[in-house]
Amino acid sequence: MVRRSLVSVVDDDESVRESLPDLLRELGFAAHAFSSAEEFLTSDYIDQTRCLILDIAMPGMTGPDLQRELKLRRKEIPIVFITAHRDENVRPRVLEQGAVECLFKPFSDTALLNALNAALRVS
Amino acid sequence: MQVQLEHPADEIKRLQRCMNDLVSFLALPAMWSGSTPGDIVHTLLDSLLRMLDLDFVYVSLTNLVDAAPSETVRVAQSQEQMFRPRELCTFLNRWLGDDPQKCYLQERSHFGDEEVSLVSWPLGVQREIGVIVAGSRRADFPQDTETLLLGIAANQALIGLQQARLLTEQKRVADELDQSVAQRTAELAAANEVLRKEVAERRRAEEALAAGKRDLRLIVDGMPGFVALLRPTGEVALANPQLVEYCGRTLEELRLWGTSDTVHAEDLPRVAQVFARSIASGNPYDFEARIRRFDGVYRWFQVRALPVRDANGRILRWCSLLTDIDDRKRAEAQLAGEKQLLEMIASGRSLPDVLKALCRFVEETADADCHCGVYPIDWRGPTFTSAVAPSLPASYTDPIEGLHVSCDVAPCGLAAHEKKQVIVEDIQSDPRWAASSYQKHVLAHGLRSVWSTPICSLQGSVLGTFCVYQGEPASPTQRQLDLITQVTHIASIAIERAQGEAALKRSEAFLAEGQRLSSTGTFSWGVATGEIKWSDQLYRIFEFEPHLTVTLELIRARVHPEDMMLLNEIIERARSAASDFQYEHRLLMPDYSVKYLHLVAHGIRDSDGRLEYIGAVQDVTQRRLAEEALDKLRSEVAHVTRVMSLGALTASIAHEVNQPLSGIVTNAGTCVRTLDADPPNVDLARETARRIIRDGNRASDVITRLRALYGKKEATTESLDLNEAIREVIALSLSELQRNRVILRTELADDLPVVTGDRVQLQQVVLNLLRNASDAMSGVEDRPRELVIRTERDESDRIRLTVQDAGVGLDPQAMDRLFEAFYTTKNEGMGMGLSVSRSIIERHHGRLWAAPNDGPGATFSFSIPCGPASATGDRSLGVIGTPAAKDAKRVQRNP
Repeated sequence: MVRRSLVSVVDDDESVRESLPDLLRELGFAAHAFSSAEEFLTSDYIDQTRCLILDIAMPGMTGPDLQRELKLRRKEIPIVFITAHRDENVRPRVLEQGAVECLFKPFSDTALLNALNAALRVS
Repeated sequence: MQVQLEHPADEIKRLQRCMNDLVSFLALPAMWSGSTPGDIVHTLLDSLLRMLDLDFVYVSLTNLVDAAPSETVRVAQSQEQMFRPRELCTFLNRWLGDDPQKCYLQERSHFGDEEVSLVSWPLGVQREIGVIVAGSRRADFPQDTETLLLGIAANQALIGLQQARLLTEQKRVADELDQSVAQRTAELAAANEVLRKEVAERRRAEEALAAGKRDLRLIVDGMPGFVALLRPTGEVALANPQLVEYCGRTLEELRLWGTSDTVHAEDLPRVAQVFARSIASGNPYDFEARIRRFDGVYRWFQVRALPVRDANGRILRWCSLLTDIDDRKRAEAQLAGEKQLLEMIASGRSLPDVLKALCRFVEETADADCHCGVYPIDWRGPTFTSAVAPSLPASYTDPIEGLHVSCDVAPCGLAAHEKKQVIVEDIQSDPRWAASSYQKHVLAHGLRSVWSTPICSLQGSVLGTFCVYQGEPASPTQRQLDLITQVTHIASIAIERAQGEAALKRSEAFLAEGQRLSSTGTFSWGVATGEIKWSDQLYRIFEFEPHLTVTLELIRARVHPEDMMLLNEIIERARSAASDFQYEHRLLMPDYSVKYLHLVAHGIRDSDGRLEYIGAVQDVTQRRLAEEALDKLRSEVAHVTRVMSLGALTASIAHEVNQPLSGIVTNAGTCVRTLDADPPNVDLARETARRIIRDGNRASDVITRLRALYGKKEATTESLDLNEAIREVIALSLSELQRNRVILRTELADDLPVVTGDRVQLQQVVLNLLRNASDAMSGVEDRPRELVIRTERDESDRIRLTVQDAGVGLDPQAMDRLFEAFYTTKNEGMGMGLSVSRSIIERHHGRLWAAPNDGPGATFSFSIPCGPASATGDRSLGVIGTPAAKDAKRVQRNP
């Protein structure tokens, strides 16, 4: 059996943590959800993670904060940002910093799949 | 014509006795002073019976002011068996008959078996007062002297009776005149006392005279009055020396009285007519006329004359008696004048009119060619003001107007200051005024004597001065002083009354103006009588015709139908007990406009224990409409600020909606895929569908909260849990706060009591405070952006909410302006937030304030009452908590 790629989800919103892993599994990925950037950083999943789906606005460390932190740690994980703030200025900024994609909530499963495929191609 | 007399010894005695009797008669009026007509009649009859040696004498009085007609008869003691009073009265009544023209009857007649001589004598010219009848069995009755005595007695009785009548009339004069009447009566008594003394002296002289001279001439001459004897043709035959001396004319000159100035020119035509008619008819005459004294002064006399007849009824001569009634006339004139002045005052004539009449009255009655002036004083100056001096030219009075009242300017100033009369006999020589310009002023107008008297009020304050001037140096007589005393008293009544009326009018005008300006009317309501009195303004408020009689029915016709129950309830409560009450109700006017009235009433009981209410009614329609408009405006402002706050939160709100939407879309994707799989994962599909429903509800909740905050304008009151309301606000703002990297700490106390108020408005305040706190920390980088929101019990019955930030803090200079509208420190703010927040909290009977923290930042707090008690937050609608007001509120909401 082909080992599934692990996609990690970091979002403070519980319904995202609840629903997104199920969809990812249906799409053929392994999935794990974290409620904060800090939780992800202290977990054992960093190195296994092939793609990171990361919420931008979170209490404490934000999505971009985590992106910087991972860069500092030289963890080259492709990141797909998701955000409920439809702020068009955010998208080019995070892409410039190396993100694969930035999706505005709510996003379709197709858009997610395309972003993941792109991310995994990068890696 | 010379009277023929015999000289036997007994005749001398007879004349001597006659003389004594006559003198006694003349003294009678003095004795009668102050007597009743009854007393007068008794004395008269006793005297006649004794002096004329009569068998009986009878008096009938028919025309008295204060008594019924009466008959009185006296019978000599020795004749009491013969003449029984009752039969005698009947007999004499028949003998006299009804014809008043038959005044002087004299005949022998039969009374039973007795033959008696009867002589009747009228009281008054034609028996208008009554009649005297004297009877004697003597055949020679009456002799000349007896006729004369009887005539004089009748005359004296008439004077006495008229004086008694005058006295009675005087008693009827108003209370103010009592003093004056007493004074005049005393004067008359004093005059009579003098007269009596004179009589006594004369009597001694007369007795000495009578011893030697026994002729009627001497009797006439010796009489202490003015007597003239006339021929049947009316020509003056004899005037006694007293009369001659008084007139200062010879007998020859007196004979020409009909063409000379002996009788006052104004009286002469009337006198001549009466005299001529009497002489022609033979009836006695009786008139009042002014007769010239030797020095040119006219005095009033009563002139009566009786014809003396022989046995055949032929007139032998006329006996005329002139009685000086000048004092009485003066007293009458003065009384009449004073009465007229008092009537002018009582009938409300203007003060200048009354004072002018008062001056003229004194000028006419003071026995001197004088001018009078009244100078009221305005003590605010003090200055003389509104001077009245009708007989002096304006050039005299004008400079006095506004003149400062001081001791050294004029006698009037001195009199006013010293409160005493100042008599300047001659201003030219009086050293007190030598240095005063007033002296020149007076002299320039041809005046010399100045008598100034202060006009004092009952309380003793000086109201003005009364001044009498004459062109010659003069000092006042006692009579003039009395007159001045009397008129200054009247002047004080007039001035005080005028001042009182002016003050009353002023106060009434103030009241009416005050009522008009404040749209307030006053009323009184006598509960027992049902009598309702309204002020003019109240008529205007109710829009009723002035002077319409106000009844409860009339009021009910205007009261708003929805307030009728309330009104009836109030009236019932007011009837049952004296209490103070106030309430509001509405009127429905004929044009269907609505007026709001606020009524305050105070219940009192009068001395009879009857209930009466007095109160005020204010038309508060304008205020009420303004309050309504203000409320509406406030709601709109609150709404606008709320919408603006929410606008700033758009991103946050989008986040709130997008989160559940995102969950829905993701779950839906999963659901479809699991169902497409082979075999389908039904359990997971069911789980995702459940999540879709949950997230859908979550999104719907956000929309509902938003709609509540965006949409609502009108204020409503409900019981609410403040913590729950705060949590909703936090839910809406949370992501905004997060975005601003604000660390929110909530410390909401458990078990807070409910508060009553407007949920959305209170949430708006919380939202404002959170946003302000967040904005205050937007530039803070050196410390955590910590925001604490806390609720707690404040005192026992209040809840306090605190929002504490760690931001830039408060500028102490700006603390005062913090809550002003349009005050802002933000670039994009309108500065309405705190102003609206404070007004919302105040309408919840609460308080909103700010304070700097000990450390960085500021703390904003509000405190509002908790529990249903604060349900009286009716003030949020600007009405007073009365039944009517609540009613009105309901109507306002559901017009």
